[in-house]
Amino acid sequence: MNRSIVVLLARQSWKNAFHSRAIYGVLVVLFLMIGYAAYSGWKMYTVQNEMREHYQRVARERWEDNPDKHPHRMAHFGTFAFRIKHPLSLFDFGLESFTGNAVYLEAHKQNTINFSEASMSTGLLRFGEISLAMLLQMVVPLIIVFLGFGAVAVDRENGTLKILLTQGARGREILTGRSLGLFAVAMVVVVPAFFCAALLLIASGVSVDLDLVGRLAGIALAYFLFNAIVCVITVAVSAGSQSSKAALMKLLGVWLLLAVLLPRTSQALGSYFFPAPSRVAFETVIEEDVLKQGDSHNPDDPHYKHLRDSVLRVHAVDSVEHLPFNYSGFVMREGERISARIYQQHLQALTRLYDKQNSLTTAAALVNPFTAIRNLSMALSGTDVESYKVFQSEAEAYRYTMAQEMNALQMELISNRKPGPQDKPLAISHDHWKELPDFKPQGIAIGASLRGAWFSAMALLLWSVGSCWWVGRLSKTLKAI
Amino acid sequence: MYRLLIKQFIRSRITLGALALLLVMGLVSILMGKQFLAQQQERIVQVTEHQREHIVRNVAAHDEMGLLLYYLKFSLISPPDKLSALSIGQRDVNPGIQSITIRTLEGQKYDTDLTNPVQLQSGNLDLGFVILYLFPLVIIAFTFNILSEDRESGTWKTIVVQSRSAFQFLLAKFLVRAFFLYGLLLFLLLAAAVILSLPLGESYLAFVVLSVLYSTCWFALTFWLALFKKSSGFTVLTLLAIWVTLTILLPASVNNLVATLHPVPESLSTLVKQRDGYHEKWDQDKKVTLDKFYARYPQFAKYGVPDETFHWLWYYAMQQMGDEDARADSRAMREKMLQREETSRSLARAIPTLHTQLYFNDLAQTSLADYIRLLDSTTTFHERTRLYFYPKIFEHAAVKNEDWAAVKPQYLPPRDTVCWSPLVLPLVVIILVLLGWAWVRSRNIYSI
Repeated sequence: MNRSIVVLLARQSWKNAFHSRAIYGVLVVLFLMIGYAAYSGWKMYTVQNEMREHYQRVARERWEDNPDKHPHRMAHFGTFAFRIKHPLSLFDFGLESFTGNAVYLEAHKQNTINFSEASMSTGLLRFGEISLAMLLQMVVPLIIVFLGFGAVAVDRENGTLKILLTQGARGREILTGRSLGLFAVAMVVVVPAFFCAALLLIASGVSVDLDLVGRLAGIALAYFLFNAIVCVITVAVSAGSQSSKAALMKLLGVWLLLAVLLPRTSQALGSYFFPAPSRVAFETVIEEDVLKQGDSHNPDDPHYKHLRDSVLRVHAVDSVEHLPFNYSGFVMREGERISARIYQQHLQALTRLYDKQNSLTTAAALVNPFTAIRNLSMALSGTDVESYKVFQSEAEAYRYTMAQEMNALQMELISNRKPGPQDKPLAISHDHWKELPDFKPQGIAIGASLRGAWFSAMALLLWSVGSCWWVGRLSKTLKAI
Repeated sequence: MYRLLIKQFIRSRITLGALALLLVMGLVSILMGKQFLAQQQERIVQVTEHQREHIVRNVAAHDEMGLLLYYLKFSLISPPDKLSALSIGQRDVNPGIQSITIRTLEGQKYDTDLTNPVQLQSGNLDLGFVILYLFPLVIIAFTFNILSEDRESGTWKTIVVQSRSAFQFLLAKFLVRAFFLYGLLLFLLLAAAVILSLPLGESYLAFVVLSVLYSTCWFALTFWLALFKKSSGFTVLTLLAIWVTLTILLPASVNNLVATLHPVPESLSTLVKQRDGYHEKWDQDKKVTLDKFYARYPQFAKYGVPDETFHWLWYYAMQQMGDEDARADSRAMREKMLQREETSRSLARAIPTLHTQLYFNDLAQTSLADYIRLLDSTTTFHERTRLYFYPKIFEHAAVKNEDWAAVKPQYLPPRDTVCWSPLVLPLVVIILVLLGWAWVRSRNIYSI
């Protein structure tokens, strides 16, 4: 391949693109949208996180401010977990608006994670949100199509292609040159978008660590690949079509199919074939399973009766009042352990079911580069479903620790003798409240994000290789007329 | 002439392909809606059955009214309107059933259903989607070159010279395409009515009218643009750009605007305050709590202040204080949600896609306003239930004297949905403006 010819053709495509005045209009609109998307992404990230961090601090202060009381009172006082947005959520909103943001953590009970943005939104949310990632995924490809549908087809229509070929340019050089030129034009939009995101990241005072740098590099690489794929395919379709009009129609059809129709259809079908249980059904099954294990409130329950007998035997006493620790604290510890384990099992089953619902969309990445980039971008921005799962499990783990710490305090410090109806309630010193460590969610690490999106990353790589191979094959049979 | 025009139209592969695509997607979406309705119905059956079993089990296990009512959950069901199958709206995000105890309400009423966020984000494939997104695309595909194809192939000159009225010829071409698309639209709406056994009432009629008007907006738009006599390439790009703007960019921007304009920090403060409002009372003198409680409900003042360390009267008064202390924030949160609805609606008036979507949801009773209505009803339902059981708890009534079998889930009555003028006016205005403009331009088509 002659590099100078490739560069020459690329430069000529670039010049051509900026020849028409329409492109400037399009670019102005696009830059305005990029600015707006960046601004609202940044606004949502900072406002929401400020809010949530504030209430997380309030929750901790309230916890520590409690006076002396019974530890089980404290376990019911509980605390809250607020989901902190990943800094890169200002670039890609991902599932942010559809996942819950706040959950009440208390003993015995796994509450739902509430107050998702969607639950407080009007029907408009279903049209989607405008984020930098959304513009790069949906709109930029469309602009590439607008600019590139004639890349080869116009040359063929006006006879330039014949001249190019007779003058010694080879098919491969022409297609590569045109693709590169188109890619360069696309970068005029993509690079400023990244620049905006980077600037806002710095402005919001995010600490730059290896994890963040890795994510940024991954996102940059993914979008460069994706844009390259779109450019190459556009040029290929242009080269393979009879006329530029036919190329345009084909490309628009493909865009509609891949960017709009397929993602929604595949997800809807996934949910159709794997219907998920309602909360009532889900909680009923858990309740039944917990009761099967034993009802800690029932004095005649065989499981807890057996437990009591064996505890009494080990400590060689005849009644629970003579045990060296608080027996009801002990029973609650056992109950919490059982119910938390059963809940986890069912939650995992539910998560697997959701994964199945999503599997069709995940698999669609293989035939749809739009889905591949969407999933990969969400994962790298820490706004995908894996990142939500991490929050879910961190919140539940903290709830469990809190409940069991309080049970431990009760076992250790609360007397076994029940107070009479007029007595002061049993209590322990409030100094113990500070002993419980604060809720410090770690968030998802880049490794876990990548593990969740390896299939999409692979699909994107396959698409890159595949589209190059396709162009290579096409270039051998490039028709001059 | 019409017969030839029809022949010409349906001979094209693109025509048949597009019509087939619409038909298949339309039918698939109706089936999805059917499944949605079935799931919603199943939930109602489940919750009814669960409430029955739950009450039987707890009544058997507890002989103290106060303790029993600590556990008992009562359900309020907002049954889905059948039209919700056509426009699922917010009905999959927000639950249609509330199961609550008589303890602090603010800690329970926002509990979500189990949802798959990926599914929520990608959106539903309901008939509303097919009408909003796909019909305009097919309208564009059918009509973008209605004038330009004749001009580009050179036949337009012949038509201008030979036909009695070139404008009528153009109109006829349009009507042929419109005939097929409206036919398909009505067929799908009728199929939906049959498959889902929709009641053919006013709200169904309004849904049909709204769908037809929305499609007419797009026809008017393409007709108007065709009269500018641009090349078919230019026209299709313009129309597609308009489609992308109206169905993706503008709605998404409006959504961002609404979300950033009205953030709802009150949701989080309500959450914290309802807990603190209740729990702090454990550490205060009983009289403080009970005085506040009696100020709210003077009818219970006769029960006085009990001497025991723990008394259910005090306990439920404390629970009630959670709601009292969170009331201001909860109200503010409700206000914010209404503001969001208000802002969306006023902006939507100028944007046909948004307008149609919001009114589809409105007719199907799946809008945010409907969720707020359920929340409001939950508050009254909660109070009614509490006030019914309070005296029984305070007087230690025997559990077995209550007719528990009669405690069944309550249903939210349907509401009036159709309000014609705000429904049709914005679309009618847009159609009239476009057609009027097109009429003015129509004289130009005779020049070549």
